[in-house]
Amino acid sequence: MAEIDDQASLFPNDPEPGRGGLEPPALWLVEAGPESDVVVSSRMRLARNIDGFRFKSRFADGEGERLEIFLRGVLHDVEPSLAYHSLNDLSKNEREAMFERHLVSHEHVTDDQKRGVAFSEDGTISVMVNEEDHLRLQVFAPGLNLTALEERINSLDDRLAQHLTFAFDDRFGFRTSCPTNTGTGLRVSVMLHLPALAFRQPTTGRGMGRERDIVRMHNAAQQLGLTVRGLFGESSQAEGDFFQISNQITLGKNQAKTIEDVSALTVKVVDWERRNREAFLQEHKVQLEDHVWRAWALLTSARRISSSEALGHLSALRLGLHQKIIDLVDVGTIQRLMVTLRPGHLQLREGRDLAPEDRDEVRAKLIRDTLAGSVNPD
Amino acid sequence: MPHACNRCNSPATIHLTEIKGGKKTERHFCEECARVLHVPQPSKEIQKLLASFEPAHALSQRQAASLQKSCPECGMTYGEFRQQGRFGCSHDYEVFGDEVVALLERIHGSSSYAGKLPGGRGEVEGDVRAEIIAARKQLQQAIDAEDYELAARLRDEIRRLTEVSSEGG
Repeated sequence: MAEIDDQASLFPNDPEPGRGGLEPPALWLVEAGPESDVVVSSRMRLARNIDGFRFKSRFADGEGERLEIFLRGVLHDVEPSLAYHSLNDLSKNEREAMFERHLVSHEHVTDDQKRGVAFSEDGTISVMVNEEDHLRLQVFAPGLNLTALEERINSLDDRLAQHLTFAFDDRFGFRTSCPTNTGTGLRVSVMLHLPALAFRQPTTGRGMGRERDIVRMHNAAQQLGLTVRGLFGESSQAEGDFFQISNQITLGKNQAKTIEDVSALTVKVVDWERRNREAFLQEHKVQLEDHVWRAWALLTSARRISSSEALGHLSALRLGLHQKIIDLVDVGTIQRLMVTLRPGHLQLREGRDLAPEDRDEVRAKLIRDTLAGSVNPD
Repeated sequence: MPHACNRCNSPATIHLTEIKGGKKTERHFCEECARVLHVPQPSKEIQKLLASFEPAHALSQRQAASLQKSCPECGMTYGEFRQQGRFGCSHDYEVFGDEVVALLERIHGSSSYAGKLPGGRGEVEGDVRAEIIAARKQLQQAIDAEDYELAARLRDEIRRLTEVSSEGG
C-alpha cells in the first residue's frame, strides 16, 4: 500500500487558510453550465460495499477503523489527486461546512463512527468512507451535464473495482445497506431553480406560473419513478425555489435508462420554467421588476437576516439576472453566497460558535459586503 | 399564518407534534435551530414504508417466526431490520429471503437487477417481462394524466422491449 500524505489543508485553494477555507466553495456550484438559467448543477452518486465486511450498523469491534484505513489506502492508490480527511479529526463547524458544500451527507456529519471523505481540489469529486455504505462516490457538474458525469463516475467506479471486491451478484446487483439503493446504487439528481413555477402572489395565493405546471412536474416525476425534493435532498424543504429531481428506483432499471429518465424530465421542466418566466415578464413586468429590486434593496441594506429569508431574495436576484432585469451581480456571486451564508461557513469564518441572532447579523454583513464588492463600477 | 421558530423566531420549516398522555404539544423550528437542537428529522421514507408493510397485529404465525430469523454472519434479525430499515451485512439479503424480495418489489417495482457488472465487465440484462409490465402501468398513468408526450415515449419503449423479449424466445 502506498504511503499516505499528511492531511491536506481542508480547502486547499483558500486564500485565507486561517479563516476556515471559504474560497472556492465548490467549483461546480459557482460556474455556469448548460441550461444554467434553470439548472444549477447535476450530481451522480454510487453506493458500494466491500465483500467480507459487515455494513455500518453491524460493524464488529474495530471493523469500522480497519475498513477506513484500508479504503483510504485504496483511494490513495486509485486516485491520488483526492485529498483525504478523517471527519473525526475535524471540528463541528468544519464538518458542517463540508455538508453545506454538499461534499458529505448530513448523516456523515453527525455520525460517531470512524469515517472520512476524499475530495478533489475543485470539489467536483467526493468519496465518503463509512457513510451508510462503505463507499459513496459522488461527482458534480455545473448546469445539466449528465453525460460527462456518467463517464467520470464509471471511470472511478471501474478503477476501484480493480482493487476491491464489491458486494454484488447478478440477481440483486450491488448490495447496499438500505434497500432503497439496492441494484445500481445510483442516485442521479439535478438541482433546479424554479422561481416561476413555484412563485405565489402573497395576496391571492395564485401562482405566477400556471398552477398546472408544478403539479405536472410532480406527476411526471412519479410516473418515471423519480422524486422532487428540496435543496439538500431527502426530507429537506424547497428553500429559495431550489428543487432537486432525482431517481428513486435502482432495481430493474439500468444506469442508462435511469439517467435518460432524469434527463427527459429535466428538459421538460426547464421548458415549462422558461415559458412561465417569459409569460410573467410580458404580463406582469413591473411586478417582477419590483420583486427583484426589492430583493436587492433588502440584501444590500438589512442588518439582520435569516438564511431562509436571504435565500428567498438571492433566488429573486438569480431570476432577475437571467431575465435581464438586474446586472449588478453575477450568478457565481449569488451561488457562492448561498453556501457561505450558512451557519457552518459563518461560524468557521468568525472562528467561533454564534447565537442565532448574532449569526443573522454576521450573515447580513457578509451579504452586504459581498454584494458591494460585486457592484459593476461602470 | 406561518409558524415562527420557537428558538429564533425565523419562519419555521420543521413542525413537531407530540402527543403524551393524551396532551398534544406543537413545536416549530427553522432548519438551523432544528439541527443545532438535534430535533429528529422527519422519518425516512423507508421506515414509513417498512412500517406500512405488515401491520404488527396482522402478523400470522409464519410471519412472526420470520421476525426471529437471524443472520449467522452479523446477528441481525429480520425484526431488527424492519425496525431500522438497514441491513447488517450483505448476507441478510439471502437470510431474510422472500421478505426481502417482496420488500424490493414494493420499493422498486422489481426484484431483479439490470445494470453494469463490477469493473464495467459487461451488463446484466434484467427481467424484460417485468419491465414491460411496469412500462404498461406507467403508460396508463400517463394517458390518465393526459401527458401524451410521455405516453408516446413509453409506447415506443414497450415496443422495443417486446421485440427484445421475443428475440430472446
